[in-house]
Amino acid sequence: MDFNDSAEEAAFRAEVRAWLQQNASDYTEPLALRQGDPRIAEMGRSWQKQKAKGGFAAISWPVEAGGRGASPIEEVIFAEEEGRYHVPVGPFVGIGINLAVPTIRAHGTPEQIEKFARPTLLGEILWCQLFSEPGAGSDLAAVRTRATRDGDDWLVNGQKVWTSWAHTADWGIMLARTDPEQAKHKGLSFFLVDMRSAGIDVRPIRSISGESEFNEVFLTDVRIPDSQRLGAVGDGWKVAMTTLMNERASAADQSQSLPDVESLLAALGEQGRAANTRQLASLYAREQGLKYFGLRQLTRLSQGGNPDPISVMSKLVYANLLQDVSALGLDALGLPGAFAGRENHEAKKFQYGYQWSAALRIAGGADEILRNQIAERVLGLPGEIRSDKGVPFSQLPVGR
Amino acid sequence: MGDNQEALAMITDQAGRLLEDAVTPQRLKSLLQKPGSFDRDLWLQTVGLGWAGAAVPEEAGGFGLGWEVLCALAGHLGAVTASLPLIQNTVLVDALAQADCGYSAVIEQLVSGEAIATLALFDQGDNGISDTPQLVYGSSGLNGVTAVAPFAAVAGFALVHALREDQSQPALLLVALDQKGVKRDLRNCIDNARGAAALDFANATATPVAVGDGASSLLMRVAARAVIATAFEQVGGAGSCLQSACDYARERKVFGQPIGAFQGIKHKLADIYADIEIARGCALDALAALESNPRAALAYAAAARVTAITAYEHAARENIQVHGGIGVTWESAEHHYYRRSRSLALELGAAPYWRDVLVDHVELLAEGY
Repeated sequence: MDFNDSAEEAAFRAEVRAWLQQNASDYTEPLALRQGDPRIAEMGRSWQKQKAKGGFAAISWPVEAGGRGASPIEEVIFAEEEGRYHVPVGPFVGIGINLAVPTIRAHGTPEQIEKFARPTLLGEILWCQLFSEPGAGSDLAAVRTRATRDGDDWLVNGQKVWTSWAHTADWGIMLARTDPEQAKHKGLSFFLVDMRSAGIDVRPIRSISGESEFNEVFLTDVRIPDSQRLGAVGDGWKVAMTTLMNERASAADQSQSLPDVESLLAALGEQGRAANTRQLASLYAREQGLKYFGLRQLTRLSQGGNPDPISVMSKLVYANLLQDVSALGLDALGLPGAFAGRENHEAKKFQYGYQWSAALRIAGGADEILRNQIAERVLGLPGEIRSDKGVPFSQLPVGR
Repeated sequence: MGDNQEALAMITDQAGRLLEDAVTPQRLKSLLQKPGSFDRDLWLQTVGLGWAGAAVPEEAGGFGLGWEVLCALAGHLGAVTASLPLIQNTVLVDALAQADCGYSAVIEQLVSGEAIATLALFDQGDNGISDTPQLVYGSSGLNGVTAVAPFAAVAGFALVHALREDQSQPALLLVALDQKGVKRDLRNCIDNARGAAALDFANATATPVAVGDGASSLLMRVAARAVIATAFEQVGGAGSCLQSACDYARERKVFGQPIGAFQGIKHKLADIYADIEIARGCALDALAALESNPRAALAYAAAARVTAITAYEHAARENIQVHGGIGVTWESAEHHYYRRSRSLALELGAAPYWRDVLVDHVELLAEGY
């Protein structure tokens, strides 16, 4: 595959650059806001709207669906060029566009797609992901949040945790248990939740970076119309798998605010390079190997395809690579690296990478879960002997 | 392109089947027994099918299927630990064609497979390409001893890196090895199946292919191409190790279950899978860079080499570990890979050398391909 631009692609790139120069001039420097600050979400919303207005919000979507009808390569080109700026894409793209939209596209009714997927691309809906619970993280299918049928509605009670951007979200995608008498994976259903419904209480969690991007979400008698169920009753696990595959596929996306090996080289200088050749070469080669899959993955996803198992590998490798790069970067900067204030952009990048990588190795599938998946789904190794197979969920020990 | 793709698919298909049938464990074990071994029957069989000329451009007498076919064939060879000088012959033909001055007779022999090539580019004791080669080419011919090079025991021609005395500049020399001034020094080593030998030259006749800056750039071209194709051979070998370990982990049962069900085993194998895929990504990118950004090819080659060495070594070691005691018996095939992972990691320069190359050239990687 040749990633050099053809004449048309070069023209498109030039158009994108010109548009970004006009429209992204506020984002040439890193944002001075703390991660989790609601203003970031609002900036993300207006950035998405701006993109929609410029015709760049859904580049490879068909024109009749509100997209640009362009090629996936052009989607890649836009992402590359946009990546040169510090645009506030985080909460908007990371959850809404990368997770909610593909899940709704894959499992939604035409009405649901019309009501949720398009408006998200147009910058109108901010999302959060109501999956993990205190007793269900790596063992996600152990969720206990209960949805019971009540006429045309569902009544939901339970607690979610690690919910990024719940405090700014308009809507949430939620996995809940609809039948505890079924086996664990069978009694789940998937819902779209209006975060402004009565009975939802969002409380921030302070993370190791000191910032509050995560939340706990308590749900008490939250009423959800059945028209907001995504997929069949009992098919929740299948729907959630689409979300998870996309989450892993996008976890390795590079961001301007995270360090890469190039920024590490800059921090090390000539002398530091020579002293760390062994580690640097290994880091660089790993980053280079990931790029190969990253570009192809992006192409496949923008064509509406499903992420393949290689995305599980990419997420596993990337999170660990980021931790290694960040640690070496902090080493390279010496004491200032660890103790510098926020005005030191270079140090901040490595500090943020060091803290975020620790979260990334857990979020969206912990290292250990991803290794199980590679071993069992790709390499065909047997699963562990499990005591929860075929047992009604109500009879299983869960949590601690 | 369509025709090429078809021909490529045909030749690599055929290669997979032929090698699987022909390369038996007994055959491999007999090659490991004595220094400088070479499977000449297999070589003759495969050159009969045109493998030696598959990647060579049509104007040089080959099939013109490009580096892609060489890399695919190398992958198949690696997967069964067969040792054939396909990379050496193809790379030498490319180097001679670059020099473009009347090597047509040699090229013809290399393309037909009648002659075998060796790339003797390293000095003894070096783990990479030296800027100041110890071999000397002067008025009395070529003198000095090379590091052990694969296929030097059986090659008709060598590409040698030496200092050209009269100009005090490095040169790349073509040396016909069947002459009085050449001694082949076979040594018992960890992988005797590579037809390896050190070449000892005493007033040997040689022809300069390139001198000075020309020699340096040709040397890097040769090294990048050999390294990239070898990375595919390494990835092929690593893939077989992973396959073998997974097969065994599904069958072997302890504590009432297959060992592959234990995270201690399956996580190890998942990590090897990740190493192999990263190496494959680097190798494929490097192959693409040969065409689209030749200036950066050396940097891409270095990334491919570093990751391929890591992946193969990791896979070969842990494959034995997963097999337990049976993995360290002579009867098992696992040690063939363990040996080959080491010999391929050292031929063409060891990891520390290529790490330096990578770190020195990272800016080129940033350009993309």
